[in-house]
Amino acid sequence: MSLTLTCPICGKRNGYEFRYGGEDKGPRPAEDGLTPRSWCDYVHMNKCVAGVQKEWWFHRDGCGSWFTTYRNTVTNLEVEAPEAKE
Amino acid sequence: MFGKYKPLWGNKTRLKSSYDAVIIGGGLHGLATAYFLAKEHGMKNVAVIEKNFIGFGGAGRNTAIVRANQRTQINVPLYKEALDLWPVLTRDLDFNLMFNNCGNLNLMHSEAAMNAARMNIATAQFHGVESHLLDAKQVKEMVPALNISPDITYPIHGAMFHPPGGIVRHDAVVWGLAKGAVKLGAEIHQQTEATAINTENGRITGVETSRGKIHSPRVLVSAGGYSAGIINKMLGIKLPISVLTIQAMVTQPLKPILNHVVSSGAYHAYANQTLKGEIATGAHMDPWPNYTTLTTAYYIKHQAQALSEFLPCLRGVKFMRHWGGLADMTPDMAPIMDGNDPIDGFYMNCGWGYFGFKSCSAAGRHLAAFMATGNCPDILEPFNLRRYEKHQLMGETAALVSYTPDN
Repeated sequence: MSLTLTCPICGKRNGYEFRYGGEDKGPRPAEDGLTPRSWCDYVHMNKCVAGVQKEWWFHRDGCGSWFTTYRNTVTNLEVEAPEAKE
Repeated sequence: MFGKYKPLWGNKTRLKSSYDAVIIGGGLHGLATAYFLAKEHGMKNVAVIEKNFIGFGGAGRNTAIVRANQRTQINVPLYKEALDLWPVLTRDLDFNLMFNNCGNLNLMHSEAAMNAARMNIATAQFHGVESHLLDAKQVKEMVPALNISPDITYPIHGAMFHPPGGIVRHDAVVWGLAKGAVKLGAEIHQQTEATAINTENGRITGVETSRGKIHSPRVLVSAGGYSAGIINKMLGIKLPISVLTIQAMVTQPLKPILNHVVSSGAYHAYANQTLKGEIATGAHMDPWPNYTTLTTAYYIKHQAQALSEFLPCLRGVKFMRHWGGLADMTPDMAPIMDGNDPIDGFYMNCGWGYFGFKSCSAAGRHLAAFMATGNCPDILEPFNLRRYEKHQLMGETAALVSYTPDN
């Protein structure tokens, strides 16, 4: 199914202009006390959510910016950011 | 209903409150595991629970190709065993799996690819798997319809020919294994969704389903592309997996032109002619994770362009049907088969990417041994989940073009 994404600079564009950059896993772990396990967690491990997830994208064929967005992996549609919890 | 017709895998029975083992996912791996649990380990009080119907997922959506020409020393023996099992299963299940032993031809489009093929062939031959290198002229003699002229985008330099592989009717494997498992005492519960996996003090205690709660000391998640999501949602275990939709299609039926499975990494396409005469083709994945199982115009166009370049006689032929399935890709393109870590009694079988069909019989057989004894068989040991944190990745990527969102 086709995908459109909204680049923060270029606006809504065809999904094939972008490169997927993985699930948003928060900040890169600190070098101090880094174990192979925590690095592996950060690099390889995914939640594989069937539903809405926050993820990174790169506007490869456009302005070259990296950004995060929310997408429903079941419908392949970009969605609004959910209301902040807490 | 009609004459001697009888359901192959029994009538819908009541879900019992307790089983020796519960298998989540009524696909090829789940059914094979149930079958071998009963057949080789006498464990008959087994339930396979399936959210939709058996063969709904990857089992019915793959392109039915089987082969044992994987890249690494660790993978080849597993796939060889699976390949050797087709005639055995056809006999034991008393069900025609329609194994068409036509051989696989992997086209090579550069001298570098020819060198990679030499290594691949050496690995195969080391394990007693028949595999040869062919030059372009020999390829043409074998498949006259191929275009070996230098004027196409990726001229054909030669090919890796793997005679023991071919095609197996994938639906027949689902039905045959289901029939075999039920005959030996296992139960298959369709339209039964697992909603939770219960644990207590680091041990599996059972599964909650849409039809009630089941107690069991052993649970296998073997739900193809859905496994990673289920395991994370129910047990909070993250896996090195990305779930992508992979697409395939068939043309209108044609006279026989293709006697082998032909595949090309450079064109990113494979094709074989089914017994009905259709050209079945595919290879493409969406480059971002999704669970849609839908096809895209983008790839149908790509497939038509690629096919009609190296098989020019297909120009103007119409695609009749197309479909998508899920491929759960790992960084090293090798599956994850693991058990009792970190939860006793919990087993997982996932991350097969697009290799899940060809391996199901051998994987199911060894997983059955693992679940029955609690000890990991040597052949499965390297496929453990911890290999990723130990940097023991397998490098199976070279078997086909690398295609994950990670690269």
